[in-house]
Amino acid sequence: MKRRQFLISSAAFTVALAGALPAFAEWKPKRPVNAIVPYDAGGGTDSIARAIAASMSEALPVPVVVVNKPGASGVVGATAVANAKADGSTILITSGGSFVLNSVMKDLEVDPFDDFITIGQIGDLTTSLMVPVSSPFQTIDDLVKAAKAAPGSLRWAHTGRGSFHHVAGQGFLNSAELSAVDVAFKGGSATRAAVIGGQVDFGMIGIQQLSGFTDQLRPLALVSNERDMFSPDVPTFEELGLNVPLISSPIVVFAPKDTPDDVVAALQDAVKTAADSASFKELMSNGNNAPSYLSGADASQKLLQMQDDARAIVSKLN
Amino acid sequence: MDIFVGLATVLTDPVILAWIFGAAVIGMIVGAIPGLTASAAIAMLVPLTYYMDPLAALAFLYVIGKSGRYGGSIAAILFNTPGTAASAATQIDGYPLAKKGQASKAMKVATISSVIGDFFGEFVLIIGVAWIAAIALHLGPPELFSIYLAAFVVIGSVIGKSVLKGLASAALGVLIKMAGLDPVTGGERFTFGQVELTDGLSLVPLMIGIFVLAEVFEQLAKRSAPPEITEEPDDQASRDRNRLTWDEFRPCLPHILRSSVIGTVIGMLPGLGSTIAAFVAYGEGKRSAKNPEEWGKGALEGVAAPEAANNAVSGPSMAPLLTLGIPGSTIGAILVGVFMIHGIKIGPTLFVTSRELIYSLFACGLIGIVFYGLVGYFGAANVGRFITRIPVNILYPVIMLTAVISAYVSRGSLFDVGVMILFGFIGWGMKRFDFNPAAFVISFVLAGGAEEAFRQSLRLSDSGILIFITRPIALAFLLIGIAVVIYRVRSLRAKPEAPSLKDA
Repeated sequence: MKRRQFLISSAAFTVALAGALPAFAEWKPKRPVNAIVPYDAGGGTDSIARAIAASMSEALPVPVVVVNKPGASGVVGATAVANAKADGSTILITSGGSFVLNSVMKDLEVDPFDDFITIGQIGDLTTSLMVPVSSPFQTIDDLVKAAKAAPGSLRWAHTGRGSFHHVAGQGFLNSAELSAVDVAFKGGSATRAAVIGGQVDFGMIGIQQLSGFTDQLRPLALVSNERDMFSPDVPTFEELGLNVPLISSPIVVFAPKDTPDDVVAALQDAVKTAADSASFKELMSNGNNAPSYLSGADASQKLLQMQDDARAIVSKLN
Repeated sequence: MDIFVGLATVLTDPVILAWIFGAAVIGMIVGAIPGLTASAAIAMLVPLTYYMDPLAALAFLYVIGKSGRYGGSIAAILFNTPGTAASAATQIDGYPLAKKGQASKAMKVATISSVIGDFFGEFVLIIGVAWIAAIALHLGPPELFSIYLAAFVVIGSVIGKSVLKGLASAALGVLIKMAGLDPVTGGERFTFGQVELTDGLSLVPLMIGIFVLAEVFEQLAKRSAPPEITEEPDDQASRDRNRLTWDEFRPCLPHILRSSVIGTVIGMLPGLGSTIAAFVAYGEGKRSAKNPEEWGKGALEGVAAPEAANNAVSGPSMAPLLTLGIPGSTIGAILVGVFMIHGIKIGPTLFVTSRELIYSLFACGLIGIVFYGLVGYFGAANVGRFITRIPVNILYPVIMLTAVISAYVSRGSLFDVGVMILFGFIGWGMKRFDFNPAAFVISFVLAGGAEEAFRQSLRLSDSGILIFITRPIALAFLLIGIAVVIYRVRSLRAKPEAPSLKDA
């Protein structure tokens, strides 16, 4: 009885939805869309991907199913999507920043620009320079002075060589002409704990990870062109007069290269609608992530710029 | 006193009780199925929790984690397959017990030990959460490395008959673990250009290969010999054999208590986890046992020790998680995400902002332990009697099939199936030539974290080794390690042939 009512009402809902969304009339997917997330379930990118997939399922006539295909810092999943049938049934949701940095650092079989069409950016994780509250450094200036006084004496933490935190941190050191010893920790939480515990002098930590730790950590500057919505008191490097390249981790939806234009258009519309939905915004802001939508073209432009910046930084690494 | 308020809240809410009960059962099932880990199940269930009340959502996942750690012992005892990595130590004695037709008895001991260990850890958490968090914060890479080193030494006593072959097995485990990305430079090591190898080999397929496939091959090799798992001729005899008496259980008690302490301490330390706790408890239990010669051949104490320890980890590991945001396990990492989704900010202020919720969550943990204990004692223990009646020519093909599926599903990768088969042959070879598969797996588990901590320490100290001596906590654990070595050398000299030769 109840089940039947549910079926009827959901069918009616679907019909109403289909009628309300004429933009998707050209593409009639027969199968659910598989959204490959190239990381383990439960991580930051995964939770954002699951949130956008849920919202996209409402905007498309078929559900969007998240499939985790972890391995080799996201390369395994990306390769699988690049080789999948280009008919819209398989898309990739990943950290565009990591993908680009990976392709700069290593010789990959897949390329974010040659093998994929960028559908859109749904979020952007930014990193920031943080010190423990007990640190003598009140400002970036203090830190720069101390590092210049004794080159190579400071220790800093990041989440692994080649991660966007590492490359962004190195970008800061280059722009201020400093040398410091980097120590890799596994993941953002371990990095944050190392900074709070005073194991290192400073660390590059995602600004959203400040949430709940404002009494333990002092963020000095943000790697972004605008201040963070949730930590508006933290200045950007640009404001402080340092030209640090904008290396971040935009969460980007990609489709395989040969996906037909009408499918790409439908996917782009669905991503835009989903990124705009109240439920997606709420899930994002609960994790202190500012929703930041960019169209496929804009996102692609941003990634190309990041690729250039990263190449310059990486070429100076030993 | 907050815990009593929490208990009152939870006990009067039938909906939450239902979620906890569901979690206890689901956790046991996913824990018992090798390869289907509790963390994978939790990750799949996370979207469901978006729509749940925060307490119900957190309690559901927290209890799955607890009962999953226990559930792993079921497969370890019955099939010589650790259902979760944390139960790999349980099979050393659990499977020989099953072969003797005492699977139900072994499972009863596993259940009681898990419940006691889990309660112990949970009480320590409730009483000392703030204190545990303060300790965890002071553990940097040098301290962690010293702890890893002490763990290596303590676990050394599982090394069997030949010290040389045991050490060789351990060295092989370390070597295999080196494949993948260098933790400091991020460069590739031993990957031979294979994309799949850049993450290193994963534990699940490797362990299934070494333990399960090796056992299947062993059975194939002696097909003509009479099967070891026999059909039960007499129900009454089987029932008698599986009745757990107080006289049998009493010697387990000191081991359960010691292991509960070991598990609790390891749970407080960020990043070590239940697998290491179980092996350390097994090693220490065997070292201090009155009957070390029986360990490895089906000693009930050998089941009790690791099972108490791996569950004792569960509670205390919540302290660094809740107050510092350091997840001790994959399940912990997922829980952090769930807190965020519900807009609860993890961190030192959590106990001010959400005190009631947190103590209610701890109360759910206590109730969850009772639930999985009851289900396990009266339910799972009876499964054992049924399984031992399945003839080998059906049982082993089924195990083989389960092994292949398990290796595949954990990452959806055929490469992992290949890894499992390869290590099946390696494990079989190791058994035939008296090498030590357990020592191999343990060093594989420990080597990654130990190397990372060691190299981080050297980055911090400009490659100076003194960093391990000038930091007091690091020094203390180094001394513990040295003391254990001295003790063992002395006891070997005192009775030159007793435990070292009769060891399994």
